[in-house]
This record gives sequence, C-alpha cells and structure tokens, in this order.
Amino acid sequence: MGRSWLRDYIIKRLLYSVIIACGILTITFVLVRVGPSSPADKYLANIAARGQDVSQVIAAIEARYGVDKPIFQQYADYMGNLFRGNWGWSFSTSMPVIELIKTHWIYSFQLILLSSLFAAFLGVLIGIYSAVKQYTKVDYAFTFFSFIGISIPNFWLGIMLILVFSVRLGLFKTYYDTTLPLFSLDNLKALVLPVITLGTGMLAGYVRYTRSAMLDNLRKAFVTTARAKGLPERTVIGKHVFRNALLPLVTIIMFDLGSIVFGGAYLTEIIFGIPGLGQISFNAIFANDYPVVVAVTIIGTFIVLLVNLVTDVTYTYLDPRIRYD
Amino acid sequence: MRKFGFFLAMTIVLITLTVGCAKGEIKEGKGTTVSGDFIDGQSGGDAETLNWILAADATSFSYVGHTLDSLATYDNQWNLQLRCLAKDIEVSPDGLVYTVTIRGDLKWSDGSPVTAEDYVYTLKNLMFSDWLNYPYKSDWQEEVDGKTIFVTPQVVNDTTFTITRQTVYPEFIYTIYNLTPYPKYIAVNYEGNVEAFTQAPEFNNLTYTGNLGPYRFKEWVRNDRFVVEKNPDYYLGKDIGAPYFGQYIIKLFNSPATMQAALEAGDITESGIEPAEVNRFRSMPNIKVYTIPTTGYWLLAYNQRANGWEGLKDKTVRQALSMAISKQTISQAILLGFAEPAYSFIPATSQWYTDKGVAKYGVVPLYDKQKAAELLYQEGYGIKENDGTIKVTNKDGTPLNLVLVVSTGNKQSEDTAFSIRKDLLALGIETEIKLIPWATLLRQYVMNTVPGSKQEPAYNNGLDALSQQSWDLILMGFGTNLLSPSGSHVFFTSGGGLNYFGYSNPEVDELFNRVRSKEALDKNVRQQIYAEMSRVLSEEQPVDFLVFNRANVGFQKNVMRIEPGINMGYNYYMWYFEPAK
Amino acid sequence: MTERLRDIVRRTSQHLRSNARLINYYWQRTQRNKLAVFGLAFIIFLVLLAAIGPFFTLDPTAVNFEEKNMPPVGFTIEQSVYNIETDEFTTKEIPGTWKHPLGTDSKGRDMLAMIVSGARVSLQVGLIATGIAIILGTIIGVMSAYLGGWADNALMRFTDVMMTFPFFLLLVLIVFIFGPSLVFIVLAIGLTGWTGTARLIRSEALSLRTREFVIAAKALGASDNRVIFRHLIPNVISLIIIIATLSIPGVILAEAALSFIGLGDPTVSSWGIILEAGQTSLNTAWWVAVEPGIMLFLTVLAFNFLGDGLRDAFDPKSNM
Repeated sequence: MGRSWLRDYIIKRLLYSVIIACGILTITFVLVRVGPSSPADKYLANIAARGQDVSQVIAAIEARYGVDKPIFQQYADYMGNLFRGNWGWSFSTSMPVIELIKTHWIYSFQLILLSSLFAAFLGVLIGIYSAVKQYTKVDYAFTFFSFIGISIPNFWLGIMLILVFSVRLGLFKTYYDTTLPLFSLDNLKALVLPVITLGTGMLAGYVRYTRSAMLDNLRKAFVTTARAKGLPERTVIGKHVFRNALLPLVTIIMFDLGSIVFGGAYLTEIIFGIPGLGQISFNAIFANDYPVVVAVTIIGTFIVLLVNLVTDVTYTYLDPRIRYD
Repeated sequence: MRKFGFFLAMTIVLITLTVGCAKGEIKEGKGTTVSGDFIDGQSGGDAETLNWILAADATSFSYVGHTLDSLATYDNQWNLQLRCLAKDIEVSPDGLVYTVTIRGDLKWSDGSPVTAEDYVYTLKNLMFSDWLNYPYKSDWQEEVDGKTIFVTPQVVNDTTFTITRQTVYPEFIYTIYNLTPYPKYIAVNYEGNVEAFTQAPEFNNLTYTGNLGPYRFKEWVRNDRFVVEKNPDYYLGKDIGAPYFGQYIIKLFNSPATMQAALEAGDITESGIEPAEVNRFRSMPNIKVYTIPTTGYWLLAYNQRANGWEGLKDKTVRQALSMAISKQTISQAILLGFAEPAYSFIPATSQWYTDKGVAKYGVVPLYDKQKAAELLYQEGYGIKENDGTIKVTNKDGTPLNLVLVVSTGNKQSEDTAFSIRKDLLALGIETEIKLIPWATLLRQYVMNTVPGSKQEPAYNNGLDALSQQSWDLILMGFGTNLLSPSGSHVFFTSGGGLNYFGYSNPEVDELFNRVRSKEALDKNVRQQIYAEMSRVLSEEQPVDFLVFNRANVGFQKNVMRIEPGINMGYNYYMWYFEPAK
Repeated sequence: MTERLRDIVRRTSQHLRSNARLINYYWQRTQRNKLAVFGLAFIIFLVLLAAIGPFFTLDPTAVNFEEKNMPPVGFTIEQSVYNIETDEFTTKEIPGTWKHPLGTDSKGRDMLAMIVSGARVSLQVGLIATGIAIILGTIIGVMSAYLGGWADNALMRFTDVMMTFPFFLLLVLIVFIFGPSLVFIVLAIGLTGWTGTARLIRSEALSLRTREFVIAAKALGASDNRVIFRHLIPNVISLIIIIATLSIPGVILAEAALSFIGLGDPTVSSWGIILEAGQTSLNTAWWVAVEPGIMLFLTVLAFNFLGDGLRDAFDPKSNM
C-alpha cells in the first residue's frame, strides 16, 4: 500500500505552515511597531535629567534604531533580511538576535522537556492506575488531587514553593544558577522546583485524560474478548487498552508541548530567574525591542506547527485506518 | 522600583565609576594574594550595551567602569583621587581653559599607547558628531550669544590636551573627570556609519580596554551575569598585585527578595538590602551591613502652569500644602527610617549645604494641618464650618479636587502618594491618584507645548506651554550631583530644560547664573550662593522637597578594606577576601 | 442587532422553560456529583461576597500607615524602624488583631476588604471576558459550520492562525501596547480566547446541520439567518454553558497572570494586583501573596468542579 498521499499531505501542510507563520509574523510585527511606545522611551528619563532637547534626541534615537521609516518600509526591510538569514540586531541587549536566541534557547528547552517528561510519565502512570482501580479510595484521591493540580495558579505555586522550600527550609537555591554544567546533578536539582511548578498543571491534565481514555476503552468489546482469551490482566491493560488510549493521549502531550512554550513556561522562567526565551521575549516587549519579539514568536509558532504536523503524521502510524486526503 | 532603582544605580555608578588612581598609597598591608570571585548582586535590570557611548542607562556605564577608568573620582571625604591623570586638571585663571594631562603608561589591548589624541577624538568625532547622536552631548555644550555650541578640545602633545570654553562654568570640571576615551585606531573604521558602530564587535566585547581598568571583559550572559576577570596589567594595581579577586561577577536577579536570599545563603558577596530586612541582616553573623546616604530625593511638583489648580501659583498656598504633608510619615512609616526630610535640593551630606535660614516645611513646627488650613482660608480657599473648623475648598466654595500623578513600578513612591493623599484629605481636599507608567507620564504630563503652536513637545517650552493632560501634583524622584548641584538649574530656572512645572523667579535665575559664573570659582562665594539658594527655594516651595533616601548594602563579612561612605566603591579594586583561618 | 439578541435569549429561555423536566433531569445528574455541588456552592458564595460583602467590610481603600503590614489574627510579626542619628533600630512586635482579621498590606489597607472587593473585579473580568470570547467563538463557529464552502475554509484558516499564535504572548503585547487598563485587559482576553470555542461549536454545529429539523426548516423556506439563530444556536446552548464554565477560570487566571508581571490595572485591586504587590515582600508580609492566591485557587477549583460535573451530566454516554 503506497504512502504517497502522506508525502503530498506533508508537503501541503508545510506550505500551509509557512503561510500561517507569515501571517503571525506580520501580526506580531504590526502590533509591536504600531504601539504608542517607542524604543526611545527609556531615554526619556535620562533626557529629562539632562534637560536636553527631547524631540531632537528622540528623532535621532529612532533614526538609529531604524524605526522612523514608514512601517511598510520597515516590514519589507525586515522580511528581506529575515529570508537572507539576518534576524536583526537586538537593541535592548546589543547583540544579534540569532546569537541571543542561540545562547538562551537551551534553558527554555531543558525546562520544557523535563516538565513534559515528568508530567507525561507520572501522569500516564497515575491515570492508568486510577482507571484500573476505578471507584476505589485511591481513585478518588487521585481525582481530587488532579483537580487541585489543574486549578492551582502556576505562578502562585512557584512563589509558594520558593517561600517554603528555598527561603524557609533552605533546601534549594532561590535563583537558577547558570554556571552549572547542563548535564550535572546540581543542575537537575536546581530545576526541581521549576519543573514541579510547570509540570503540575500538565500532570493533572494527563492523569484525568488518561483515566477517562482508559475507562472508555476498558468498556469496549475487544477487552472482553482479550480477557475471555485468558490473557493476563497486565497484558490486557498494557497492550490492548493502553495502546488504544495512546492515540489521543499523544495528541494531548504534543499539543501541550507546543502550547506551554509560551504561557506557563514564560511565567516559570520569570519567577525562577531562568534566562530562557520566555524571559528574553518578555524583557524585549517592555523594551520595545521588536526584532527579538518577532523572532521568539516565529520560533514558538514554528514549534507548534511542527509539533502539530508530527502529531498528525504519527497518527497515521499509530492507527493505519487514518488517511488524510 | 524603576525610579528608585535608577537613583540607586546612579549612586552605584558614582561608586563603581570611581575606578581610579589612588595617589599611590596602600592603606594597610601590602599586597594580598588573589583569591575567589566577588559576586555583586543586582536586581535593577541588565545593562543595555557595553558600547557605552550609545547607552542611556546608568547600568551600562557601571559595567564598563570595571574595565575603563575615568580621569578622576572622589573618596568618601571628597578628596580628589586621580585616575588616569598624572596631575590635577589645571584651570586657567579666567576659568575658560582646562588642561588635562594623562599618564604616559596607558596602553590599549594591542599595545599601542593611549594618547591625548584618543580623548580628543572621542570628544570631537564621536560625542559631538551628528551621525552618532550621543545622548549626553549637552554636557559639552554652552550658550554663546543665544546659540548652543560645543566646547573646543585640542591636542597639545601625546599626553596633554585642552578644552576651551567661552563661558565660565566652574562645575564643568566634574564633567571632564568622568571622561573615558574610545580607541581612535578602531573607531575610525566605523566613523560615519552608526549601524556599523552600534554592532562593532570590539566595542560590544570591550576587547580594547588594555590596562585602563582593574578588570578585563570575560563574558556577558544577558539577563544573567556579567563577568570580568582580573587584569594583571592594571596600571594602578600591577605593582601591588591588585585587584585581589580572580573575577568580578555581576549577577542579575529578578527581584530583591531572591537577591537578598542569595546574600543570606552566602551565594553572592554583596547586594542591596531593602529597608524591612535590614535589621534581620544586621544580626546575621556572616554579613555586614552599611547604611549610606544617597543623592536621590523625592519631590512633589506643584503645577504652576495654566492647566493646574490656580492656587498653586500662590506661594502661600504652596507653603500651606507643604505644611500639611508629613515628611515623618514618609521617612519613618514608609521608608522605615532610612530617609531624612529634605528641605532643599542639596542634601545635608553635601559640602554645599547650609542649614541656616532654611524653612523646614513638613516637620514640626512647620508641620501643622490646622495652620495650613488657616493659611489656605486666608488666601480665600476655604469655608468655616459651624464648629469653627476650616474645610479647604475652591474660591467659589465648591469642593477642591486635585490630581496627583505618580509613576508605576515603585511601591514606595506609590505608598508616598497615598500618604500625601491622606494628609490632604484631612484638610478637606480630595486627591485623585493616577498611576501611570513612567514613559507615558513623561509624554503626557511632563512634556509641554504652547497650545495652538506646532512645536515639538519639550520638557519646558516656555512658561505658556501646557502638558497634554492636566495635573496638579506629580510625585517623582530626582538626584542631585553632590559635586555640582548647580545641575539642578534645569529644574528651578525659568528657562531650565526640566522646569516642567512652570516655576519662575528672577531671584533664583540670578542665583543660578552667578553660581555658574566667574565669581563662583571662589569656593567661599559658591558656598554662599548655594546657601542662599537653599534658603530661597525652601521658602518659595516651587516643589515640596520630601525626603533624601538612604541605601543599605550588605557584604559577606570576609570582604576587607571597605570604607563605608557615600562613595564607598572608590577603592573597590583594593578589596580582598580575608584568608580563612 | 439587539433585537435579534433579545430574540435569541427569549427563544432559548422559552426552550429551556418549556422543557422544565429536561432541566430537572440535567440538574439531577449534576447533583450526583458532590464535587460539582461544592463548586456551585462556592461560586454562589463568591457572588454573594462580591455583591454584598463590601457593605460589611472596612473600606478597602482606606490607607493608614500606622497599621501597615499587620499579620492575620493569630500571628505576630516584628517590625523595625531605623533611627539615622543613633544608628539603632526600634523593634516592635505587631500581633494580628480582629480589626484586621486577614492582616493589612503595605499601605495599611485591610486585607479582608481588599479580597472581597477583588472578588468583584475578578468575577466581572471572568464573566465579561468569557462572554466576549464565547459570543465571538459561537458566531464564528456556527456561521462557519452552516455556511460551509469557502466561507468555512476562510474562517477556519483564520482561526488556525489565531490558535497557533502564542496566546499569552499576544495578550502581553496587546496590553503592553494599549495600556494596562481594565477595559483593554478584558477586551484583549476576550478577543484572543475565542478560538477553542469556535472549533468546538463548529464541530457540534456541523453534526447538527445534517439533522432532520434543520433540513425540515430549510425545506419550509427558512432563511439562513433564521436557521442559524433560531435552530442551531439554541441547540448548542448546553455546550456553550459547559465551555463557559470551564473558560472562566482560565480568564481569571489570565488577568491574574498579567497583573503578576506588572501589566495589571493599578487602579483596581484585583486579586492579581494584590498578589503582585505581595510577592516583593514575601519574606516580611507573606500573607499579602498567600491570601489572594488561595482565593484564586479556590475559585478556579470551584469552576473546574462545576464544569466537570456539568459535562458529565450533559454527556449521555457517561453512566451516573
């Protein structure tokens, strides 16, 4: 059976992703540039202190930043540069945008990866256990805790954890130390609280989802058949039920991965002082540093689109019945 | 946080930019072995660039200051500490020509000598240029025949250059003291092209700094840390082995709370401490805390332009309001004692401050709400209630509502605004507090234009100009340069560039003119003029001077040779860690 | 337009009223879920608190620096004031009092009063922003499903773009640009949060489209508008209710998160603003951050319980 349709589908999706990315890029660019604030704003205070000619200095600064040209020109310049691989110069940090991203993406990445793994593994295991032991006290307890997990505001959880474990108990450092080598145990330890903060919400979601997906499948006919065949319960659960629940579960995990890049990770980075892309883009917004904002948005969008595509393609392997035409 | 942080940073600039040349003496002990890294905690935000001539923020200057010395600085007792100068700057008798001589042993990183040519080039081709648009160029300008022109720098020989003015300004020398050069041999390659200059790798990575600073640039991870390493060639330190730290690291924190926790845990060497935590830190066995005065003060500006309450144009009314606002509450309850009431723009710690004859509104006996109400009633702004108390109102008897604008981002100034509102409420005045982001505040409330004209907004477009939004009171922080307080002329003279509240008094104008003129070259005369200024302004109350802040800095106990004071960083390259017993 | 809105509401309530037994049935099913009942009870309590609470509490805007940073009842805290002349501290022990049972903030404002008035703000934001998002999402979803063809395609592509856009980043951008006033915050949240609703409503409407009653209506000559507003929308009401209940907590949290990073409206005291003020003094006045956080948590929890219960109740497949 040929999979040629799959190749066509992938190409179509990729093209489609590029268009969406361009759309998002444009919207971001316009938003950042159209606002009433300008990169010259942070000079205002110092100009004030010096009693200088404000409008002249602002005009010169805006000329230096290239934001005095008409917006279409700026857009065209920016897009032109982008396609040539020049992502611009970050004014608020005085370095090329590409360099900025290269030095900081790893912190976001390790945080998101670890949180997702933590949430996925633990969540799925608890979900399966909960489903199998439905209506027992354990199940109720887990259900209750998963509600708590998705309800707790993650930024509040973060500062509470810091208050209790770092400040009062002194078990962890209150800030993230970037001098630690990435693959060291110390680094892992430093990431414990951030991962818990970011992962709790996802964890709870996975528990609930896995549980309900498992429950749905446990009722199905093929389970009775497998049991009737005399297969051990563990095989029934692990091999049959879980496999079927896997498909939608994978969707959710992938979707979460894409969407927490901004949102939860953003806030966690700020609270724990992890200099990842979230914190970079946040500072850039406040400094009106539009090349950085647009660049980080593109990356986030690209990740989401890529993840969606990979998910959809994975679907076809997990369930050969699915076809996209 | 932002405004106060700015002025704290300014202080720290003063502290750290004073990398300097001590007059060759070492206070106690000879050299000490190099050990450990000094980690300096900061929570006010990262620097913008190391290409300092483009920077607007004080943090950028403070970073660069570790790798480049300025020409001179002051110690805690206002003794001049020469740095790259071999001798003091000479001023000609007519006060117009400054002769600067630099040391002969200064070298750039490629080995070539630092010469007067580098300094003059930095001034003429970079700072004064149009293509670069240096934000602080007005420091080097003067008004001659109604036109603004630059001063004239000129090379005399390899180690000497002059700067010639046409008008006398005794405090110009302090501007010169802060001068740091760019290497001409590198800068010429970027001349005229501001984009290339902005992105120049040599300037962004401080690869040229040679032996001009105690440290050399090592790395800068944005929003995280700035690391410089010991410079063994440092012209001041190489004979005594200074500096005594392997690295000087500025570690950035998102909030003062995490920074203080790191200090407590011993993860960093030094950090600022918030007022509420000082007592706790003082009692820690491994930390020593210093409380130092700063140049920052808060003021409440009274809008004397046409779009403010008409009463504010009346001096008695302003005095009455200042009489009702408690400075004690601000310094004791809000700042927990780490502030002192201000009566003038010159702080008590400055050599130019005189207490005599200064009117002290806001503290007993000139803190008297009753009397304040009576004064306002006298001027027509009140009605007598049945029980004899006075309720302050408009002239026509309608309730008086004032607008108080304060910028967001600083909890303490917010608190102060609320305290002021409460004080005014006791008189019967309703105050609406507007919390506005700083940049918006400047644009809409401070900048003004003459209505109907097409001029660009400026901070003082003449006394007829009005700001976009109307306001009555603005609470803000400012800083006085301790060495040259006359910089505050921007605030209090009629044409002052920052006189956004529209105050005009020919007597004050005259005083500021005199202090920037020839007669003020005599220190005694200058003292008298400043004393008179404090006296007049404290009585005139163009703004209500509120409080001067104190800052608290904590160090690990094992840091030696710290001299606490207002410029305590001036000898920081001599600090060392006490060897563990 | 308001005519039609009134029409819809009238039709919907008619629909629900004429099916009192139906409502009762759903209510019975919801009731069986204890957690959902707790959730509803808490929400009602919150609404009451927001509506009449302010009459019973102290004035939340009353500033009093003599009483700043007082702890909640039962706790005692030390406050030191520095004396510049003597370089000494005077330390006082400040116990919590019943006058301020939950303590005070850095300006001496009563925490209980601020929490109560914050409830009002948070609920308003939650309801209005969710309302905007739901209305927008429903209209787009139903129109897309019903009109089909290129209109459907265009609308869905647009929804895709908006969905792929990092939600929080977009929010931060909009609020930063237009200024942190409550109006903009509510609008921003509403205008960025409709995509999920649109998707869900669309698939529901698609399935409804092929049902008999719609075909019958069209056969009788009903116009497109009529079919949309009088037939399709009332049938997705139950879905809308569930989506709304589950969206409100997200909206409340979004406003709190914005306040937390400093983009909240400083003139109102929402829970997020109180929390943001409290996080800088975590060491000295922990209650200022803990109390609003607890309220946010409980509110979100309540809505989640309720929404979950409603979803189970309305789902014919789940056996209760």
